[in-house]
Amino acid sequence: MGKTFNPKITAFLCKWCSYTGADLAGTSRLQYPTAIIPIKVMCSSRVDPVFLIRAFLKGADGVLIGGCHPGDCHYESGNYHTRRRFAILQSIFDSLNLEKDRLRLSWISASEGPKFARVCNEFTDKIQKMGPNPTRKNMFI
Amino acid sequence: MSTDSKSGGRIPIENGIEQTLRKVLKESLKSDLIDALLLPVKVPSGDSYAWILMQDPALVEEEASPMAAVMPVQGAKALKSLTRKGNGSLRVAAMMRPCEVRGTIELSKLNQINLDNVTLISYDCPGALPLSDMSDAPQDTEEAFMGLLSERNFESTAVKPVCQFCTEFSMGAADVHIGMADPDTSQLLLISGSEKGTAFLSATGLKVDEEPSAWEKQTDSIQKKRIQQMDKAFQTIQPMVEGFDNLADTFSNCIGCHNCQSACPICYCRQCYSDSKESSLESAYYLDKAEKRGGISLPHDRLMFHVGRLSHMSLSCVSCGQCTDACPVSIPVAKVFSYVAAQTQQAFEYKAGKTAGEAIPLKEYKEDELKKIHEMTKSAESQESPHE
Repeated sequence: MGKTFNPKITAFLCKWCSYTGADLAGTSRLQYPTAIIPIKVMCSSRVDPVFLIRAFLKGADGVLIGGCHPGDCHYESGNYHTRRRFAILQSIFDSLNLEKDRLRLSWISASEGPKFARVCNEFTDKIQKMGPNPTRKNMFI
Repeated sequence: MSTDSKSGGRIPIENGIEQTLRKVLKESLKSDLIDALLLPVKVPSGDSYAWILMQDPALVEEEASPMAAVMPVQGAKALKSLTRKGNGSLRVAAMMRPCEVRGTIELSKLNQINLDNVTLISYDCPGALPLSDMSDAPQDTEEAFMGLLSERNFESTAVKPVCQFCTEFSMGAADVHIGMADPDTSQLLLISGSEKGTAFLSATGLKVDEEPSAWEKQTDSIQKKRIQQMDKAFQTIQPMVEGFDNLADTFSNCIGCHNCQSACPICYCRQCYSDSKESSLESAYYLDKAEKRGGISLPHDRLMFHVGRLSHMSLSCVSCGQCTDACPVSIPVAKVFSYVAAQTQQAFEYKAGKTAGEAIPLKEYKEDELKKIHEMTKSAESQESPHE
């Protein structure tokens, strides 16, 4: 096709930590790829695994969940539950051999602007190497 | 709660297994321990069974089909409809297949069933026959199932595909269990699995003083065979679902009726995300996708429904096969779900419905766990960023 591959990455970011971290990255003038499409959620545990599946099947090349570090959750234990749900989703992607590397979970605090930029850069590089999401071509789903 | 040393008692089989069992159930209903029985009864048209909450002892002897050939409604759903809002003072004994007991245990952990006044009775299950067999040829199907029971045949290939490799066909968390696999075919072996079970059996006038070691040996050997069957089955399921294209092909003839979800005992949500208006999008979105992909199918999101359902219920999936029975286009839903669920449950060392005491993994967490995911969250932490 000759076109360069511009990945799209859906990022679900917790309002209290990761989204604020993303803000900090912005105000600190740190560069991170335009591939990232941030969606603000009240807590990483608000992210139903179905949201990730939906993003994936609709053609997102990567899906990222950003939450508070363990122990720092604004709601005390939301991120621990996120971690378990993420494990379930990974296991399902594993069983179905669905490129689970397109899913990523990161803990990014409100003060970690640089880390946010690093995670985005690293994840985008990885997705760039993996190529486009195979679901993008299928019209029967 | 089941204990390691089980005890049981026997009654001679007279006029067939079903008739003997009806007598036991009738006795329990006449005692002052049980107020009502929940059991399958053949519907007047003769081609299916319905769950009936029965209070008349005379009806038990005339109407009850305690071991039904097929499973039209999963027993856990029947019990849920009775006890979702608490069970009042009614003391109920429910006659179920082992997978129905497991479904019941899962639903009780999800606060959908109240087991306080319920005694669960299960039996070594040879497998349920496909629901379509019953509607096509009711009499033959019923006879075939009775044949399996009286011959103690646990290797039939006529039963539902998931039943053929079911490893949890025997006693689980039930209070009373009927040892159908016992080598002695002249008597019915009743095993107590809890204090409730012992009380139930003594209310029916049975002496419970025997260690059912011959039955245990037999069930162990059946289970070993079933485990082999499971390995074999999983090898055939794997190529059906591995890789995105194969998975999409397997579900490509889905008509989006969501029958599998309605029949599933675990899917208890009153409204599913897939049925909600949040899941539909503006036409502009679909037109855009159609342009990018060359075309898209409508209604959309059929695969999302199945994978989404896996993410929601596979931890609690009891592999009862109701989804396949309910599928009008013969997608092997149960095989796929059973295959995936085995792995999700293994990831948390959890077996759905096996014991009542264990919490569902999504309800709890440990601070220090899931090392691999922990490593993933650690990456990018220590490296110097080129942008700093």
